Amino acid sequence: MKRTNVIAGLALCYLVVLVLVAVGAPLLTKYTYDQQDLSGRFLQSNKAHWLGTDNLGRDNASRLFFGARVSLVVGLTVVSATLIFGGIVGVIAAMRGGWVDTLLMRVTDGLFAFPDILLAILIVGVAGRSSLTVIAALTVVGWPSMARLVRGQTLSLREALFVRAAQATGASQPHIVFKHLVPHLAGICLAAAIVDMASVILAESALSFLGIGIPPPAPSWGSLVSTGREFMRTDWHLVLYPCLALALTIICLNLVGDALFERWDPRKSARA
Amino acid sequence: MLSYALKRILLVIPTLIFVSALTFVAAELAPGDPIQIKLGERATPAAVAQLKHEYGLDRPLLVRFGDFLWGAARLDFGRSYFDTRTVRQILLQNYWPTAMLAILAMLVASVVGIFLGTIAAVAAGKWPDRLAVVLSVAGLGIPNFVLAPILVLIFALRLQWYEVAGWADNFSDLGPYLVLPVIVLSVRPLAAIMRLTRSSMIGVLSQDFIRTARAKGVSWTGVVVRHALRNAATPVIIGIGSSFGYLLTGSFITETVFAIPGLGKRAIEAIYQRDYPVIQATTILFAAAFILVNLAVDLVQARIDPRVRLNRDGATG
Repeated sequence: MKRTNVIAGLALCYLVVLVLVAVGAPLLTKYTYDQQDLSGRFLQSNKAHWLGTDNLGRDNASRLFFGARVSLVVGLTVVSATLIFGGIVGVIAAMRGGWVDTLLMRVTDGLFAFPDILLAILIVGVAGRSSLTVIAALTVVGWPSMARLVRGQTLSLREALFVRAAQATGASQPHIVFKHLVPHLAGICLAAAIVDMASVILAESALSFLGIGIPPPAPSWGSLVSTGREFMRTDWHLVLYPCLALALTIICLNLVGDALFERWDPRKSARA
Repeated sequence: MLSYALKRILLVIPTLIFVSALTFVAAELAPGDPIQIKLGERATPAAVAQLKHEYGLDRPLLVRFGDFLWGAARLDFGRSYFDTRTVRQILLQNYWPTAMLAILAMLVASVVGIFLGTIAAVAAGKWPDRLAVVLSVAGLGIPNFVLAPILVLIFALRLQWYEVAGWADNFSDLGPYLVLPVIVLSVRPLAAIMRLTRSSMIGVLSQDFIRTARAKGVSWTGVVVRHALRNAATPVIIGIGSSFGYLLTGSFITETVFAIPGLGKRAIEAIYQRDYPVIQATTILFAAAFILVNLAVDLVQARIDPRVRLNRDGATG
């Protein structure tokens, strides 16, 4: 087995554990993420609190586990929305061509003029802070690259012999799209979705870190880093756990996504 | 080349208008009335109407958009809702730290990234290459707001080499304040540029003309520096351009963490206050900077690689 596959496999194992932790968070700890205990603040790790407690006496482990939920729910929602919307736009642009294609691609060009997550920051900035706004803003930022990818892939698939053959036998457009194109697009879209998920989780926690993301008391890892930073001089473990969780999650998603890209991308290259 | 350049430059104008329109519409659709927020719950309707009139918010939508565009073209975004200064004054007073950090981080990321990427490519498969791959995975995976506290903990609090946070007005005193923010800001672009250089160089080094140059007796270093790097440059230059966008949005985090009085920090404060003119101005300014840097990247690329301008000319014209 190739070394990269072994590494990607390990990364996948971490992600599976992460999903299990997020789903089973209430079973893993006997505290809720917002249960305060002002008499037991800044506790070190002990039997009752595996990872100690924070500045309000809340259990660090619970906050970390429920934080995984926040990251995964936001990540999955945004990536699904991106896949659906970007996929539809990409397929329509490629299959219709002409002015429809030009118009849709000019819109994606325009959105690419906003660097990185600047547009999301603008949207959250003017619309105010809520979970829904964050999800909507990150979807707006994410869909253009998915649409580009799907369009490019569809354009080359459209010329493939099996699609030509289906057209020649009189297959309808929807039949061609769902029976012939979608199965071929699925692999590379999955790879792109996983890499996208890493950047969505990163963006959500960055927004939450800045205080414009998921509102408290929901324990986004970004907010945990932000709180932990305030008490870094005395209790550095507060900032350590969410930092480790975030870095590991993003690295593992990238590793799995890159491995899938290598498997599915015709050019055999990971995206820059 | 000239016609390609001209077309590419003209394309900037509709893009800037699109960016301004979206920025304008976003604030228009936003819930809540900033004037109401400014005056408080108990303000009389007359006072609200009076202030709206002062800010010109009672005019028709299209008139205001035309005004907004014309203002944006002259960097005039009106008055801040909460600051006594005009938005233009805020921009002029706060852009310098942001620009300086972005330029320094870009320099560090490009020089170190290309250097390490080249070494990794030359030693492909050996330990320096493995190390470079691990570093790039880590560099792309560790968020800047995670890296910042860790570096502060080690280098500012424990070792006390640099300042924890802050800024100096005097250029000569800036050193201790600059090092950590520049490192934090440059890690991600550095990893991206290193990765691009590596894969691009590996592709070029396996080609025939490299072997030919070696056979003619050119030294290995000479081949790498003069023959390979030049041919591997295109993807790397594109990478540098797209990394620049990250340096702008990265300033929101770095400036907040290190208490640097730049545009990123000011914009986050404006978001807390719902100070729309400042949010809009920062967005447009950042997008414009990004658009111009990418214009420069495209022109440089067309200059060194004729295939770019010929292809694009054929495709668009």
